[in-house]
Amino acid sequence: MADATIPVPLDVYRFDPARDSAPRYQRYTLDLAPHTPVLSALLKIRAELDPTLSVRFSCRSAICGSCAMQVYSKSRLACETPVGPEVELHGRIVVEPMRNQPVVRDLVVDQAPFWKQYEGIEPHLKLDPAKPMPAGRTNPMSPEQVEAFHDTPRCIACAACFSACPAVEADPSFPGPMALAKLYRFVVDPRDTARQDRLVRIQTEGLWLCLRCHLCTDSCPKNVRPSERIRDLKEMAVAAQGATELGSRHAVGFKENLRSTGILNEMKLVRQTYGVVGTLGQVGQGIHVWRKKPEITKRPHPIEGAEEIEQIYKALDAEGDGR
Amino acid sequence: MKLAYYPGCVAQESGKELDMATRWVCRALGIELAEFPTFSCCGSGFVDEANEALNVAINVRNLAIAERAGLDLLTICSTCQGMLTLANLRYADPTVRAKVDRALHPLGIEYRGSVRVKHLLRVLVEDVGLPALRSKVRRPLGGLKVGAFYGCHLLRPSDETGGEPGEEPKSFESLLDALGAEPVYYRGRVLCCGFPIQFVKPETASRIAGKQIADARDHGADAMATPCPLCHISLDAYQNKAERAAGRSLGMPVFHLPQVVGLALGASPEELGLARHLVPTDAALAKIGPTARA
Repeated sequence: MADATIPVPLDVYRFDPARDSAPRYQRYTLDLAPHTPVLSALLKIRAELDPTLSVRFSCRSAICGSCAMQVYSKSRLACETPVGPEVELHGRIVVEPMRNQPVVRDLVVDQAPFWKQYEGIEPHLKLDPAKPMPAGRTNPMSPEQVEAFHDTPRCIACAACFSACPAVEADPSFPGPMALAKLYRFVVDPRDTARQDRLVRIQTEGLWLCLRCHLCTDSCPKNVRPSERIRDLKEMAVAAQGATELGSRHAVGFKENLRSTGILNEMKLVRQTYGVVGTLGQVGQGIHVWRKKPEITKRPHPIEGAEEIEQIYKALDAEGDGR
Repeated sequence: MKLAYYPGCVAQESGKELDMATRWVCRALGIELAEFPTFSCCGSGFVDEANEALNVAINVRNLAIAERAGLDLLTICSTCQGMLTLANLRYADPTVRAKVDRALHPLGIEYRGSVRVKHLLRVLVEDVGLPALRSKVRRPLGGLKVGAFYGCHLLRPSDETGGEPGEEPKSFESLLDALGAEPVYYRGRVLCCGFPIQFVKPETASRIAGKQIADARDHGADAMATPCPLCHISLDAYQNKAERAAGRSLGMPVFHLPQVVGLALGASPEELGLARHLVPTDAALAKIGPTARA
């Protein structure tokens, strides 16, 4: 038996840059079963109410990655987002094009910025020309080697993460979650010979701009978990090259900051990241804060049992950045 | 209710007002705080970037301290909450656990995994409960429009934090409503404050902070409130930089979570350390008015 239908008000973003001076939201109200995907609602609008609505889609089965868009504040595949919970939560459904890419028309964006970042990480295997693959057989991997990929090969390049990412929004030099998750996939591939080069390069090409806000991981329809793989890349980059950039110096500096006391020394951290000369550039802001919070210049008391922290550091130093 | 109080570094240093307000609110609500001077820093996500196993180990040590006392852990920082929750989860992975135990067992530290890590926001909403909280309000925050700012690690990854929907939470807004404030919904409330890259690329970090504050302002907020002292640094102590990046004056008062609760329960601005903020809170306090309800 079919589910009872509910009234579904959809506020759909409409914009044709060639004709409109500004975007507008058009209200369509449909009667739909709660499990109806947002994409089906949009296609119903296009078929029955308004043939001018532009929307990109293909498989309708969460495989092709064509129909990523903003459903309310969430970055989602429209084909697998049911209308019912949205109406329950918000009383309506606001549908907008993906962010961080220019709108071509209505819900269709120009994905050029997304693909440019993807090309930037050189998403192909770099094999050793001196060691051609043995004729007639594939290149076998152990279960552990396959495990190391995590779910990165499942990425369908839908750009939902790119749309959700506040670092991409604030800084176009950040490669974005998808490109970095793909980079990870090549870095851990035992057939790839460029691991070291890739890790060294990415340290200066945006790796440390990830905010670890995890919006990419929450929005990914395939559970690729880009933010967690970006974390892995950071640890691997420090192990490969050492802490050479502000980002890695800050991470390793923070770690060392705690080693003998167990508690953060805020002032010392500034020196550890910027060095003595660089710290001078922070003095103005330091005085600004110190006026209300004078204890920032005081050295905090070590925790009780700080020697345990030092022992833990000694035992695990070799596991991470190798210092 | 008795909890192991994990203040985190900032609340013991530049964010002391957060510790003051937490203690005031917990006393008013009958939440007993057990203190452990042995707790270490959670690593703030930075230690995790440098060395995952080490990060899990120092936090499992913290969890084991609470476990020995038979208490759940109370955090007052979204990042501490995230790191300690993550340690609980990652320690359940046998490979990680083997590494971590190699460091902890020689020190006689064992952890069975029984400690729940609870942020003050969750304790107030789930354990104290909004009806009980509402009944204790002595000075309703009537008329004050407050934009909640959650802090990423309290919310996401949402399948790991075990809380509410990570992109569309509502616990903080429901709490503000119970205190008599008018919650302001704006997109930036679940986004990043820029803090993690404040050292890496300050201009980008400040642009992010400025965007979220301006967003709250443009949606009518008189003030913002955050359960995370790191967000508070970005939004309050560095608001001057955020204003420069946003190219506009913002003048947005930013409260710590227990400060808004304390105000509604009748605490004085002095008891909540409001004079320690970089952006004055006077305009927001004037809107609440001195209408103490007996």
